[in-house]
Amino acid sequence: MTPESPNPNVTEIWQRQPVEGIKMSVEEIRKRSAKFEKRIMWRNVREYVAGTIAAGLFASFLVKSHDLFFQLACSLIIAGLAYMAYQLHRRTSPRSIPAELGAANSLQFHRAELERQMDFLKHIWRWYLGPLIPGLVAFSLATMTGDHHHVLRIVLVNSFFAVCLILVWRLNAYEVRCLKRRIDELHAVETGS
Amino acid sequence: MPTEGSDQDRIYRQAAQIYGAALERLARAYEADAEARRDLLQEIHIGLWRSFEGFDQRCSLRTWIYRVAHNVSTSHVLRQRRARLQNMVGLEELENLPDARVNDTDQRHSLKRLVALVQQLKPLDRQVILSYLEGLDAASIAEITGLSAGNVATKIHRIKNILAKRFHAGEQK
Repeated sequence: MTPESPNPNVTEIWQRQPVEGIKMSVEEIRKRSAKFEKRIMWRNVREYVAGTIAAGLFASFLVKSHDLFFQLACSLIIAGLAYMAYQLHRRTSPRSIPAELGAANSLQFHRAELERQMDFLKHIWRWYLGPLIPGLVAFSLATMTGDHHHVLRIVLVNSFFAVCLILVWRLNAYEVRCLKRRIDELHAVETGS
Repeated sequence: MPTEGSDQDRIYRQAAQIYGAALERLARAYEADAEARRDLLQEIHIGLWRSFEGFDQRCSLRTWIYRVAHNVSTSHVLRQRRARLQNMVGLEELENLPDARVNDTDQRHSLKRLVALVQQLKPLDRQVILSYLEGLDAASIAEITGLSAGNVATKIHRIKNILAKRFHAGEQK
């Protein structure tokens, strides 16, 4: 057999491999499909509960404090969290399996998935981390002005968070570049088609 | 929600009956872990059933089924860790690797090696090689993947080269 000739034995090995013969009835599929939707709903609920707890915590600071600057900082964080929750719901609600799954060929589907991921990462600062920054900065400044004895400690903690944010930003930028490269590869294949 | 015995249900039953084994083989090529593979297979079946709600016969049932199965599986691969994605190679790279001919007389071992080979490929190349192994012709593969007929032909040529290089010795028995 030359490398150019077909290789029927390999296809035979592939097609004759033992399979478990897993079968799913339509009723079972319906049940699992409903369960899947329920799981999505609960995942969303968990996100909102976490956001509500954090907002509640800052709301309690806001109510207890008599410092106007501190109250403003808490309000900014609460507003940032609310905006973030709204955007999370709008952009990242786990999608249920689309019914048009068979209408798109693999190339179109693959590229669309990568573009969705890239769009999510590319704009994450605008809607996810960005809205929280004004509140966090104001909160740090308010804490420092209210606690003159621990300024160095507060500066160190804030610097640590700033470094973390920069790292997240760099990682995201790297991820976006990788995704862009893969999208371009697929696009080249598509346009060459 | 469709009623019992709707078109959606009927087409799904027909699809599962005819292509059930092929879908299992496909899931095996996308997921090495047995537990995760069962989940993937279930996801493919759910995806199929749901997709038949919008099946308008613009393409053949077979093309539709393979598109859904590959699209669900590709999403599964994309959800995996980046590190694993980075380790994937294309047919071109695989073809240029040194000759890995093994005197392999055990079919089970050959199958293991074949699965391992398929699992290291990038999604699009994996779809082409799987379709080839399932016995689909170039036109059908082009319809499923969206590649041009010429591109599919080139890839199939590479696949044949790779398979001949790697499995030739084992098939002399």
